[in-house]
Amino acid sequence: MSRWEYFIKRLLLTVPVLFSVLTFLFIMLRTGPIDPVAARLGPQAGAADRQQLRERLGLNDPLWEQYVDFITDFITFNFGQSWVVQAERDILDIAVGAAPATLWLGFWAILLPLFIGIPLGFYAGLNPNTFGDYAASLGGIIWQALPNFWLCVIALAVLRRTREGGELLGINWYTLGPDFAARDISITGTPALEWFSTTDVLMLPMPYVSDWTALAIDIKLILPPALILGSASMAAELRIGRTAMLETVNSKFVETAKAKGLPSRVIVWKHIFRNAMIPLLPVITSEAFLLIGGSVIVEQIFNINGLGRIFFQSLTQGDLPMAGALLFLFTLIILGLNILQDFLYTVIDPRVGYDQ
Amino acid sequence: MSTRQSDSTDGFEEPDDDKLFRDRVRENPRPAAVWLAGLALLLLLEIGRVFAGVGQAFGIVGFTVELFASIPASVGDNVAGTLGGAAGFVATALTAVLIAFAITVPVSGSVPDAAVDILGLDLSRRGRRWAKRAELTFVLVAVAGLIAYTPVGGAFSALIGAITGGVDALASALPSITSRDLIANTGHRLPDGGWEGTFLGLSPAAAWAIRTGLVFAYATAFLVWLWRGFNVYRTHYRLADWTPRDDTVRRFRHNYWGLFGFVIVFLFVVLALWAPAVSPVEAQHNIYEPNAHEFQYLDENGEVTSTTHVFANLQSRSDGQNTIGPMSYDGYGRWAPLGTTNRGQDMMTHLSYGARTSLVIGVTAIGLGALIAVVLSLLSSYYKGITDIATVMASDTIQAVPALLLIMLVSVVFQEANHPIAQPLDGGLLLALIFAFAYWPGMWRAIRGPSLQVSEQEWVDAAKSYGQTPLQTMRKHMAPYIAGYILIYGSLLIGGVIISTAALTFLGLGINPPTPEWGRLINGGQSYISTSSWHVATIPGIAIVLVVIAFNALGDAIRDAIDPEADVDESEAATAGGGA
Repeated sequence: MSRWEYFIKRLLLTVPVLFSVLTFLFIMLRTGPIDPVAARLGPQAGAADRQQLRERLGLNDPLWEQYVDFITDFITFNFGQSWVVQAERDILDIAVGAAPATLWLGFWAILLPLFIGIPLGFYAGLNPNTFGDYAASLGGIIWQALPNFWLCVIALAVLRRTREGGELLGINWYTLGPDFAARDISITGTPALEWFSTTDVLMLPMPYVSDWTALAIDIKLILPPALILGSASMAAELRIGRTAMLETVNSKFVETAKAKGLPSRVIVWKHIFRNAMIPLLPVITSEAFLLIGGSVIVEQIFNINGLGRIFFQSLTQGDLPMAGALLFLFTLIILGLNILQDFLYTVIDPRVGYDQ
Repeated sequence: MSTRQSDSTDGFEEPDDDKLFRDRVRENPRPAAVWLAGLALLLLLEIGRVFAGVGQAFGIVGFTVELFASIPASVGDNVAGTLGGAAGFVATALTAVLIAFAITVPVSGSVPDAAVDILGLDLSRRGRRWAKRAELTFVLVAVAGLIAYTPVGGAFSALIGAITGGVDALASALPSITSRDLIANTGHRLPDGGWEGTFLGLSPAAAWAIRTGLVFAYATAFLVWLWRGFNVYRTHYRLADWTPRDDTVRRFRHNYWGLFGFVIVFLFVVLALWAPAVSPVEAQHNIYEPNAHEFQYLDENGEVTSTTHVFANLQSRSDGQNTIGPMSYDGYGRWAPLGTTNRGQDMMTHLSYGARTSLVIGVTAIGLGALIAVVLSLLSSYYKGITDIATVMASDTIQAVPALLLIMLVSVVFQEANHPIAQPLDGGLLLALIFAFAYWPGMWRAIRGPSLQVSEQEWVDAAKSYGQTPLQTMRKHMAPYIAGYILIYGSLLIGGVIISTAALTFLGLGINPPTPEWGRLINGGQSYISTSSWHVATIPGIAIVLVVIAFNALGDAIRDAIDPEADVDESEAATAGGGA
């Protein structure tokens, strides 16, 4: 099987997967142990109201008809309206409105670990069994075992404390960079993301940064939660980066390069670095799984009105259709990322894919 | 090892390879007897707790059986609701037969063939196997029907009740070395400075320390006994001087990082198992029913008065304004080695019972998930084709949904509906089942490669051609080779389960009060971190971090010990604990 055939096979396989996810959601939400009418009307509603709502939700139709309706609605993104969280608003609107904050968080949560975890891992791999190596590895192990929610709680307490003079390393988080204390804004909250404007370049709208202070505020808001959200990926990148570096350093072609008399700077950057990146690729793409799961916790604690927080609210307030719709959107994102990952593999590393 | 006394000189005439383990023990019974005497002594010291454990095991088995027994009726009810009563009855009967058949398949191998011979049929090997299963299914359904629909059921449940009642009575009547009755640490101060009601009149702190020390000493003795058993087996009863397992054990013993993990995991397990002995106050009094239980204390006027736990808890909260910190007494003379929670309950009690909750959930979830993964990987690598594709589809589906969110949704759906499965442990069992459901695809993927490799081996072909049944082939010739892998992944994933459970409980979606859980402690203490009550959220957080690090270290060490060259995909397991 050629690798493109393999890729197309993977691509086709996502279609049945999508349908079985939808079926699972249907079973959970419609035929599961919970009664949608009771969930919406509450226990003291009258029989007439119940009957009316049953009719309106289509619960009196035959099961297969409900199933077909459910699937067509989800496939066409016709999720209907939210019940409780933002009552009577279109679920898709809510999701689209909440997405930018989550994307901003996710962007930094992927970027920060990349620029901390990989360099640390490579450093540890280049200097194995030194004090720096042990410190980095131990730090990675502990960092990975720290529960995100606990880190959030601790980080918030520490950052809040810096305001009352209990400064951390002489830093007052409130006045560092854009002054939050003077502007009287909280160190938690949803980034406004209103720092860019668009201008027309050759008839095409091009975004540019129009308000640097607003950008700085948004970055400062998102840094602590992004660092925590990325903690597990950072530790994984550190570990795998270290192993990859060690393996590459001890490989034959590096020995050859040394024998040729190449300067060590060239060996490290041209021969080692690029090859050590290959095993890190799947780690980076699979981070999305962690980010989506972790965003619920981090957004809830840091008061960021993103997709994760809305999902959490819809669960705790009994807005199950919205929770189901959001879960479906998350699944779509993950399936898309899976395809992207397979595509990257197919293009970048010709050894992966077939033979399996 | 090499210390085995070699009697192989006369091995030519009579090769002792053929001797069964039982015969070898019979020839040289002394080491085994000494070892078993050690077990008897250890059990005798804790006989009360042993019976309590047996009683709990009975409870778990009873619950599981009842759960399975209720499936046919509930399926029948559902079908009857849509298709009418007759269809419901058929569905009930069909489900019952199916469940009975599923139970017979793994056990039918150990039933003698004579059970089929009495039918007097002329059957092929294959036919004989199926006949045996059908027969067993019939017997099982008949017995179940007898219990469910005839007066025999009443007698049966009376018998069960008598047995469990007897075990419970024994558990409360028999003494234990670590029991609260023997080393009591709850008492009240006397006006002249001493203590009344505690062990030897010591202070509650000292009595608690003695009891806790005794628990850990006992557990260590048990560990030593286990290790000794391995050595006795190795030197006296094993045929081979050396097996690969010796090297595994040796590698593990020299892996200090792994040993560190093992020690912490051991402490965690002991804390969970001996939670009633380690906690300074009884959980029933302090957490579950604080209204119903009174105790005595010395009030400000120097008089011994009595009060309920609920009132005392209100006065001893650690909520920023008041703090009962670690290693201190509260205002009622109750010893709080780790301070109190934000609701005034004892932190150590919460921590030990919370360890129990985490352990039960972690072990149930990973055990069940690993079982599903192993069974499916064996089936899909043995039969390949459609079985394999169906498993791929199922696992892809579950993995396409973000695990933590899936767990949240399913847990909310079942808890909102007040499903009976959400009752045990206040949602703990439900959570464990959902974790098993969400985590088996990862484990299955991890062991898929090895099991496909094994299924291609010549010895599997040989086993098939010798007429071994598929079940035997899988169990004897394939399963042992993937056991190591599943052990590694299981111990790496269990940390992830513990973190996720705590995270869900922190968010209020996991385990409901009153069942203690570490995540709820952190939730309760989150606003007081920068006050004097910092310990409420900090201590359980550190406990989680330590336990998760330990399980990861243990998993790594097991991997290195089993096969230092093993190519285990780190990225999948390593990130398992993240996201929460």
